[in-house]
Amino acid sequence: MSTREIFDSRIESGLLLLPTLLVSIVFLYYPTALAVRTSFFDSSFGQVDEFVGMENYVTLLADSGYHSSLLLSILFAAVVVAGVISVSLYLTFLIHEVDTGQGLYLISVIWPYALPPAVGALVFLFIAHPTLGVLTGPVEALGIDVDWFNNGPQAFVVVALAAIWKQIGYNVIFMIAAMNNIPDTLTETAELDGVSGIRRLLSVYVPIMTPTLFFLVIINTIYAFFGTFAFVDLLTSGGPSNATNILIFDLYQEGFSFFNFGVASTKSVVLFLVVGVLMLVQFRVTEEYSYYGG
Amino acid sequence: MTTVTLQNLQKSFGDVVAVNSIDLEIEDGEFLVVVGPSGCGKSTTLRLLAGLEPTTDGRIEMGNRDVTGVEPKNRNVAMVFQNYALYPHMTGRRNITFGMKSSGDFSDAEIESRVEDAAETLDIEDLLDRKPEAMSGGERQRVALGRAIVRDPDVFLMDEPLSNLDAKLRIQMRAELARLHSALETTTVYVTHDQTEAMTLGERVVVMNDGQIMQVDEPQVLYDFPANRFVAEFIGDPAMNMIPVDIENGHAVHDAFTLPLPSGDDSPSTERNGAGDTRISDARHAILGIRPEDFRLSDVQTDDGLPTIDAEVNVREPLGDSLLLHCSIGATACNIQAEPRTEVHAGDTVSVTYDPARLHLFEDKTGEAFYHSGLHLPSDEQVVSQVSK
Ligand SMILES: Nc1ncnc2c1ncn2[C@@H]1O[C@H](COP(=O)(O)OP(=O)(O)O)[C@@H](O)[C@H]1O
Ligand SMILES: [Mg+2]
Repeated sequence: MSTREIFDSRIESGLLLLPTLLVSIVFLYYPTALAVRTSFFDSSFGQVDEFVGMENYVTLLADSGYHSSLLLSILFAAVVVAGVISVSLYLTFLIHEVDTGQGLYLISVIWPYALPPAVGALVFLFIAHPTLGVLTGPVEALGIDVDWFNNGPQAFVVVALAAIWKQIGYNVIFMIAAMNNIPDTLTETAELDGVSGIRRLLSVYVPIMTPTLFFLVIINTIYAFFGTFAFVDLLTSGGPSNATNILIFDLYQEGFSFFNFGVASTKSVVLFLVVGVLMLVQFRVTEEYSYYGG
Repeated sequence: MTTVTLQNLQKSFGDVVAVNSIDLEIEDGEFLVVVGPSGCGKSTTLRLLAGLEPTTDGRIEMGNRDVTGVEPKNRNVAMVFQNYALYPHMTGRRNITFGMKSSGDFSDAEIESRVEDAAETLDIEDLLDRKPEAMSGGERQRVALGRAIVRDPDVFLMDEPLSNLDAKLRIQMRAELARLHSALETTTVYVTHDQTEAMTLGERVVVMNDGQIMQVDEPQVLYDFPANRFVAEFIGDPAMNMIPVDIENGHAVHDAFTLPLPSGDDSPSTERNGAGDTRISDARHAILGIRPEDFRLSDVQTDDGLPTIDAEVNVREPLGDSLLLHCSIGATACNIQAEPRTEVHAGDTVSVTYDPARLHLFEDKTGEAFYHSGLHLPSDEQVVSQVSK
C-alpha cells in the first residue's frame, strides 16, 4: 500500500488538520510574508509605511558594518557547529565507553540544554565572569588575562563557548542513541584486532553515524544563527565594538532599538536566505557522503 | 602449540550464573564444538576465552600462558560472530585489513600478500571491492572468516557463525569450515545451538546446560553413550524417548511391557555394564531411554524372541526418508521411527520391538546414565580406536 487512506472524507481530515494549519498560518506563514513585504518598505513607529522598492537591500549591500556582521555570523556559526559536534562526539564516546553510571554522566552533560536560553546565559556568566567567574581563576592561572568585557576576540570566544556549552546536551542525546545502535560486535571485533579507542571512534563509529551527524550539523547551524541571541544579548550586547554583533542580534537592534522595521525585515530576509543556502549546500554534501544502513 | 585450558572457569552477571565452574582442555589444532540450548552460557564461555568479559573466577591458559586477565588484543585470538560484524561502510578488502593496519603490527606488503592468500583460500577475490550491503549472508560470513584468518591467530572463536544462513547454505558452509580447518589446523572453538552442526563439525563436542558441562566426547560417543538424560535428549533428532520403568532382576518393567536388559558378561567392563551389575539387578525406579530409530515395527517375523510392545499411534509424520510415529505406550508418549511408506494410520495399534544393544538407563532423580546395553563403553580404548577410524 503506497497511499494511506485513513479518513473516509476530505472534510474530516481537513478538520483535524485545521488547528495546526491555523497556528502555522497565524504565527509562521503570515509573519514571514509580512516580513518579506516590510523589507520593501520604509517602516517605523508613527508613520505610514512607504514603499521604497529595493532601497533597503541596496543600503545593506553598501553597509560595511553589515558586511562584517555577516562574516562574523558565518565565522561564529562555523566555530559553534564544529565545536558542538566535536565536543559532543568526544563526550558521547566517553559516556559510551563507561560500563557503570552512564545515566548519571548523561544527565550531567544534558542539563545545560534543559535550561531556557536566558537562564543558560546567566549561568554561563557566573562561570566565565571576568572577575567573579568560577572558571576565571583557573584560566588566569594559565597566564591568560580574562578581560572579555573589553577584549573583542575574547568576547567572541566566550559567547561561542556559551553557545557550544548549551547545545552539547541536545547533540549528545542524538549521538548516544546512534552510537548505542552500533552493534557491539563491531566494537568487539575492533578490540580483538587491537584498534585504539580513538581510531575506533573516527574510523568505525563516525562513518556509521553520518546520518545523525549531518542532521545535527543542520540543526546546529540553525541554532548558531537563530538560537544564540540570548547569549549575545545577556553576555556582551554585541560588543565590545561589534565583536559579537552577529546577524540575529544586529537585526534585533535595528528593529527594536532603532525601530527601523523596514531595514530589520530586510536583514531577516537576508539571514533567512543565507541560512537557506547553507542548508542547501549541507544537504548536497549529506547526499554525497552519508552512509545509510544496509 | 596452542592448547587452551580452562580451570574452574566461572562467570556471573549479578545473580545469574552464566558459566558455572568449567574445566576443559582444548588440544592444539582441535576443532571443538560447544553445543547447548540457548541461554546455557556458550557465548559467555567464548567471550571469556576472547577476553571480552572479565572472569568471575577461575583461570584460562593458552599455550601454557596464563591469559586470564590479559586484554583481548594480546591474546591473539580471532572471533567470528553470528551477525558477521563486518564494518558496513568498508569494502571487503578494507574490512579484512582494517584491524591489521590499525594495530600497526604488519607491514603493508605483508598485509597485501596475506589478503591475497586468504581471498584465494576462501574464494572471495571478487568480494574484496564490494561493501557488505552488496553481499549475501554467506558471502559476508566468508569475508568475516577472511578477516579472522589473515591475522593467523592462535585460536579461532566462532559464535554461531552459520545461524543466520538459510539451511542449504548452512550445510555448504559447514563443509567449507571443515575443509578450512583441515587446511589451517588452527585450534578452533565453535559455539552452536544446533546439534547437527555440532555432530558434523566437532572432533570433540562439549554439551553444556545451565552453565555447566554435561559431557565432552567425540560425536558418536555422545550419541551412543550419553552421560545423562540431558545429553541423551539434546543430541539426536527426534529426541530419545524417556520411559519411566522399574528395574527388577535385570528387567525393565513398565505397565505395558517387561523387557530384559541384556547381560554384559562379555564386556570388558562388567563393573559398569551387564546383568552382573547390581545397578540393574536391584529393584529401583529408573528411566529407560530408547531412540526412535531403535524401535522396529515387528510385523516382519525376524525378531528373535524379543518381547513386543503395543503402541497406539496418535500422529503420523512422513519425513520422506522415514516415517515418524507419535505413539502412546501405556501412558507414556513415545516417538517411533518407521520405514517410509509404511501403511500405518493414526488410531492404529502397532506392535514394536527394539534393538537390545541400544538401551540406556538413567537415574530417576539425577538423570545420570548408569547403564548402556551396548557392549562398548566410551572409556574402552577399543571404542576410541573404532570411532576415530
Ligand atoms: N551481559 C550480560 N548481562 C547479564 N546477563 C547476561 C549477559 N550476557 C549473558 N547473560 C546471561 O547469561 C546466560 C548465558 O548467556 P549466553 O552465554 O549468551 O548463552 P548462549 O550463548 O548459550 O545462548 C543467560 O542467562 C544470559 O541471560
Ligand atoms: Mg549465544
